[in-house]
Amino acid sequence: MVSDSITNVSIPSAPKSARDLGKKKRARSAKLKQCKLDVRREQWLSSGAVVKKECKEEQNGGVQGRRERNSPREMGPREGENVGSIHHHHHHDSDLDSNSPSSFTSSVLGGHDSETFTGSSSSSSSSGDCCSGNITEEDEDDGCLDDWEAVADALAADEKPKNQNPEPQREHEAIAKSVPASQIENSKPQCARAMPKAWRPDDAFRPQSLPNLAKQLSLPNSSGKRFGGGVAWGCNSVVSPPSSCPICYEDLDLTDTSFLPCLCGFRLCLFCHKRILEGDGRCPGCRKPYENEPVEAETSVHGGSLTFRLPRSCSMITRS
Amino acid sequence: MASVNQDNVPGATGTAPSKKSQAPAKTADSQSVLKRLQSELMALMMGGDSGISAFPEEDNIFCWKGTINGSKETVFEGTQYRLSLSFPNDYPFKPPKVKFESFCFHPNVDVRGHICLDILQDKWSSAYDVRTILLSIQSLLGEPNTSSPLNPQAAQLWSNQEEYRKMVEKLYKPPNA
Repeated sequence: MVSDSITNVSIPSAPKSARDLGKKKRARSAKLKQCKLDVRREQWLSSGAVVKKECKEEQNGGVQGRRERNSPREMGPREGENVGSIHHHHHHDSDLDSNSPSSFTSSVLGGHDSETFTGSSSSSSSSGDCCSGNITEEDEDDGCLDDWEAVADALAADEKPKNQNPEPQREHEAIAKSVPASQIENSKPQCARAMPKAWRPDDAFRPQSLPNLAKQLSLPNSSGKRFGGGVAWGCNSVVSPPSSCPICYEDLDLTDTSFLPCLCGFRLCLFCHKRILEGDGRCPGCRKPYENEPVEAETSVHGGSLTFRLPRSCSMITRS
Repeated sequence: MASVNQDNVPGATGTAPSKKSQAPAKTADSQSVLKRLQSELMALMMGGDSGISAFPEEDNIFCWKGTINGSKETVFEGTQYRLSLSFPNDYPFKPPKVKFESFCFHPNVDVRGHICLDILQDKWSSAYDVRTILLSIQSLLGEPNTSSPLNPQAAQLWSNQEEYRKMVEKLYKPPNA
């Protein structure tokens, strides 16, 4: 009986209670995310010129299939004549209005590296379910995931409050697709951790073919602008943070994983940290009182202190 | 499945409704405590630590029963003790109340089962969990702090391990008897 309820609460399939459970928290973290996303989106928009050229070169091949899937956004006959440029135009528009989740889901699926870059930026407000759906189907496409995984994590939290109705069901389907039903029943603890987000590096069900963060970081960094957007990759590379908060056992999001409140290296989520500050204000890891100023990023980040600081200061302001 | 879950939540948050003004915050707290306790239970069941176990009481995940086996090569070898753990609504920011249910002849355990262990009081950290608590108590059995005893008789006898062992055996009642 108890274990039944455990599975229910943690798996997104439990329709009402699971949502209510995390709703409040998600609503708050959604605000934090919005800050970061806005900054990032602006940067992507401004980098449109670069993407434009790459798109032109690469897109002709895949356009036909994509147009069929994109039928809700089907455009006039002109598109057929001058596929490359128009198609880019289509994407650029979408950066601005970004109101058609389904079209972007499919375009990302069929996309090239550079295009996915555009796609994921514009899908900032697309449905959360494309996070799980995409990634399970996109195992071989290393290049896409480079960006997509990062964005998906942030988006998953961002989207939930907005899309009230169909999401839980579809998210569950996506998970069910990637996890055989027998495993759901037999391995409850792992399921309990299966959240409707992108795969975590240590996730038990994470497909082997997905690139891991360490690998990505060793690749030449072709688009340095991404780093300005507030994703503290550098932090992840040095000490791999836990995937869930050791205090509340909620999954750590990007802001949390880049948050290092104490020199001892004990990480926890922002909510628990705040809660502790309201109490005795001591680090759970070493029992020393927290400093007023969190530990500076230089201890673990190479040349990324500005990056590191941005999300944190944002979130602190939003939260207080 | 869903109904089981629905049943469980009100039971767990039973203390919240009395304070109407704080209801939302309290509920959110209880939910996160719930999540934490459930995760701990999972970890405990999957972890396979030998010599300790714990499980919630029938309908209340805020009250657990645990067992500890006396470690080998201590005077408590071969014994098993039952404990109760009661979790506050602000767990893990506050420690659970832990006491022995079965009598334990130990310098730091009084006759009513209260335990004198720093991590259950002022040295508590929210990073501790049921597993580390039980392991700590297990090691406390073999390494008592005889300088501030709750059971002076036991503290006095501790220096004579042979006699102590006899006393443990004499006073020991198996949990299921």
